[in-house]
Amino acid sequence: MSVISVLMDLPVDAPAYRSTINALDHSIAALDARVSVIVYRTNEIGALGEAVVIGPGSPYRDPAAAESVIEAARARGLPLVGT
Amino acid sequence: MLVEHARNVMGIGDAVHAEYGLSGTPVVTLLSCSLAESQIDITISPNSRLAEIHGALVVTEQTNCNYGLEPSFAHIAFTGGLTVSAVDNTGEVRAVERAGHRFFVATLYQPQRTSRRDAPHPLWTAFVRAATA
Repeated sequence: MSVISVLMDLPVDAPAYRSTINALDHSIAALDARVSVIVYRTNEIGALGEAVVIGPGSPYRDPAAAESVIEAARARGLPLVGT
Repeated sequence: MLVEHARNVMGIGDAVHAEYGLSGTPVVTLLSCSLAESQIDITISPNSRLAEIHGALVVTEQTNCNYGLEPSFAHIAFTGGLTVSAVDNTGEVRAVERAGHRFFVATLYQPQRTSRRDAPHPLWTAFVRAATA
């Protein structure tokens, strides 16, 4: 089971929040992939898992924490997509 | 992602995103023309990962962005391992990717908005494939 961490501070009912989670779900289903998606608020980031999404909805609560995640993904070769 | 690149790769230690109102060098600034709730045509760079993903060089995407790469810092999207993978019809950078990385793509539009269960967006499918490889 792979874990995709999503950094996103939007409310769960925001259209951009829902479309981000839905898009992941669509692709996970299409690939029949064994993936768990965990959403973190930028001021409550936990273990990153195998890949990272930098979600829409800036300004972030903790931009320095989001930047640290981007730097880690860049340096460690973790797949990352930011929208 | 552009601010992280500017600070940690390009050595612009005081690089900031203008939205935060911090002092420093703004490398991401308010677009001269807002793209909030817009549909835009994207021209993809040949030989980019994004081109490989889409199998096309022009696609239509939806966006809600008001900020973009500051024009006077456009060069940072071409250096330090970063490459421009897409521009809009004004020539503004709309996507970048990192060469030599497993998967590192940033867009200034929201590809998730056009994903459907019966037609997942190819960028998200490529990302999930990379996450599980």
